[in-house]
Amino acid sequence: MDLYADRIDDRIEAMLEKVQKASRYTGGEMNTQVKPWDKARLHYGFCFPDTYEVGMSHLGMKILYGLVNAQEDSVCERFFMPWTDMKALMEEEQVPLFSMESRRPLCDFDMIGFTLQYEMSYTNILAMMDLGRVHLLSRDRERDEPIVVAGGPCAFNPEPLADFIDAFMLGDGEEVTLDVTRTIRDWKESGEPRMECMKALSQIPGVYVPSLYETDYHEDGTIREMRRLWDGAPEKVRKCVVTDLNTAYYPMEIPVPYTEIIHDRIMLEIMRGCTRGCRFCQAGLLYRPVRERSLDRLMELAVSLEKSTGYEDISLSSLSSGDYTCLAELIRDLLRRFKQEHVSISLPSLRIDSILKESLEETQKERKTSLTFAPEAGTQRLRDVINKGVTESDLIEKVTDAFQGGWSSVKLYFMIGLPTETCEDLDGMADLCQKVNRCYFTVPKDQRAKGLRITASASSFVPKPFTPFQWVPQDTQEMLREKQQYLKEKMKTIKGVNFNYHESKTSYLEACFARGDRRLGRVLLRAYQKGCILDGWNELFRFDLWMEAFEEEGLDPAFYAFRARSRDEILPWDFIDAGVTKEFLWREYEKSQNAVVTPDCRKGCQGCGIHKWKGVCSYAHAGTV
Amino acid sequence: MRMLALFEKGERLRHIGHLDIMRAMQRALRRSSLPVSYSKGFNPHILLGFASAMPVGAVGKCELMEVELDSDVDAGEFEKRMNEALPEDLKVFSCRPLPPHGPALMAQVCAASWHLKILDDDLRRRVQESIPSFLEKDEIPAMKKTKSGEKEVNIRPMILHLEAEEDGTLDMTLQMEESQSCKPSMLLESLLRHNGIQDFSVRYALTRDHLLGRHHDTLCYLEDIA
Repeated sequence: MDLYADRIDDRIEAMLEKVQKASRYTGGEMNTQVKPWDKARLHYGFCFPDTYEVGMSHLGMKILYGLVNAQEDSVCERFFMPWTDMKALMEEEQVPLFSMESRRPLCDFDMIGFTLQYEMSYTNILAMMDLGRVHLLSRDRERDEPIVVAGGPCAFNPEPLADFIDAFMLGDGEEVTLDVTRTIRDWKESGEPRMECMKALSQIPGVYVPSLYETDYHEDGTIREMRRLWDGAPEKVRKCVVTDLNTAYYPMEIPVPYTEIIHDRIMLEIMRGCTRGCRFCQAGLLYRPVRERSLDRLMELAVSLEKSTGYEDISLSSLSSGDYTCLAELIRDLLRRFKQEHVSISLPSLRIDSILKESLEETQKERKTSLTFAPEAGTQRLRDVINKGVTESDLIEKVTDAFQGGWSSVKLYFMIGLPTETCEDLDGMADLCQKVNRCYFTVPKDQRAKGLRITASASSFVPKPFTPFQWVPQDTQEMLREKQQYLKEKMKTIKGVNFNYHESKTSYLEACFARGDRRLGRVLLRAYQKGCILDGWNELFRFDLWMEAFEEEGLDPAFYAFRARSRDEILPWDFIDAGVTKEFLWREYEKSQNAVVTPDCRKGCQGCGIHKWKGVCSYAHAGTV
Repeated sequence: MRMLALFEKGERLRHIGHLDIMRAMQRALRRSSLPVSYSKGFNPHILLGFASAMPVGAVGKCELMEVELDSDVDAGEFEKRMNEALPEDLKVFSCRPLPPHGPALMAQVCAASWHLKILDDDLRRRVQESIPSFLEKDEIPAMKKTKSGEKEVNIRPMILHLEAEEDGTLDMTLQMEESQSCKPSMLLESLLRHNGIQDFSVRYALTRDHLLGRHHDTLCYLEDIA
């Protein structure tokens, strides 16, 4: 083994001399460790299916990496998707995908876990397994190959990956991950065939084992039935919910990369879930119920993370940080505690209707970055359709506050292609930018910061499972492109506005896989074989190859993206209990069509279904609706 | 007070660039809870200076940095606390206070000594044998990368020392002053050209052993005279 290791190590070193950004592959970062391999009973390869810079910015990975390594009998090591230059060299030199810590090949691990953050990373999963010498299809894997698991938000429609992943973990990972590692450890030591492991995994609440199910289709391509192949498999898989974030595992130290990554700071998850109920937002529904971390716990975490990392930046992380009950107090306490250490506090997902002016002034004492607002749509009508409970006067008020407070740079996030959108809604976006522009100039010249910069971004709407829009068609590419051009022209005329939009082809493919069924696995495999990888990177995205792959597999992408589903259609993810009920989602869909808003849960329970976790949702009252 | 710290940049970190090493040091200083001084102004940063930027790909055996501290700290204590806060491949091995108003380390560097080992055995021997004739030349042209492109310079006067060890590893001291500075890669390319080789993609291991300064016209280890 050692001889082999030396040889591989030398080849890796030779490759590192040739690639761009070798620091992506070197490892040895602060707070990482090479745990003794032979002493461990379980070896977990944690895979992030994108580059190092992206993966190392992800909070969930840091939590699970810390969690598994905290178990005495387990080793967890990290894998990332190599960039094209490195990948080519690895293939040429026949060096398998190796871990950041001990540089062992992926196939040496007992289990490997992928986190599914976005659909456009799916080909990277195949590329990483291929490079790591793991059979791509679950059914081809041998007894001694790793068990391949996956989790994360995209696991809520696991079907397009059903051919490749042995088991999916749904929901919060802090507890189920350990159940899964123990089950795999025991199975490995038992000597039983692979199928026994699959059966055992399927008995863990929150775990879905696709090979124990089979799907039949109607002639029109919709699902007729999803059948269990083994009676012991659960009919419905209910997601995992960590009931108390204060006692849930959170790392006291996290790896500190040498090279700059996207989010190079301490991320303090202050709460999970969101009560707002924006109808386009999958995360807002998937992560219910809302659970907060206590002030004491957050201070404890912040202090030890600052101490163990030396980071100069703490960002408060959640879907809607402004809704955290004691936000002003938290920010004040953090600023006070870290005054000597020159730590700055940032709030990434600032909601325009909740943040206190006082906190704005507090954060600004350290550093002034640009402020982000997400009105999402241009008119009140459309904001009502999507249940974005924000009004124009809210926005104007907050933006004025910001300009008066010394900010001059504002980002506005919009979506195009939302259900029921018309030309008027697009005009509304430009109108809003114009009004923000005017706000700036109403602040007297000597009281405002110089250099107004309004960045308006328009992403294309992608309907997602477990949202009230899971039934609606996506706008066709022609429609989206037309809207983008229209907006581009309009925005040109407004001073200080910089308008950008996302490539609609990517959104199209994202829509296919977000609501795809099991058959899409064939398309995925074919696209990968044709050379599609790193699809999330515009310069590498090969839309033409993807379309060829669909065509050759006899599947129509429009069927997945542009088709309106009926209420009684069986959706590929119907077997999952994500907490919110299908009835609630349908009710929300109907309300959206009439532009009727649903109030925030804190103003009264809307009966979304999450109350089945007794006592976990603070706003649920049984018996409502 | 100003503290001088000697540190080693290990094998695993040879691909990590200078700015990244600097950031890693700053974070280690923050973790150490030593009373480091910060710059004044809107974006305060730690007052930390390196004697010389390290080329990517090289291991550093004896690199120097200076740290400004708000209050006096014992050198042994400084070293201990830094090493508790540093990752495995980046370690401090000696510290001492610097005279309070002396020039910055960077201004005192004159040269550096290096070990360069060509990995290919045959090529290494060939280069080894060519050294005497190489050094006989009065002018050794090399290409120097500048902001505006490449320009040719004569590196002969900048080669302060060059000899091959028994196994062919090159032991060299190269001048490193603002106007007169020769990188090991420049020397290697000239040596290869001297041997009629135009393909410079040769694999080699590079170590910087010492940074040197001048004391009464004699080259000395920088840490001894700073």
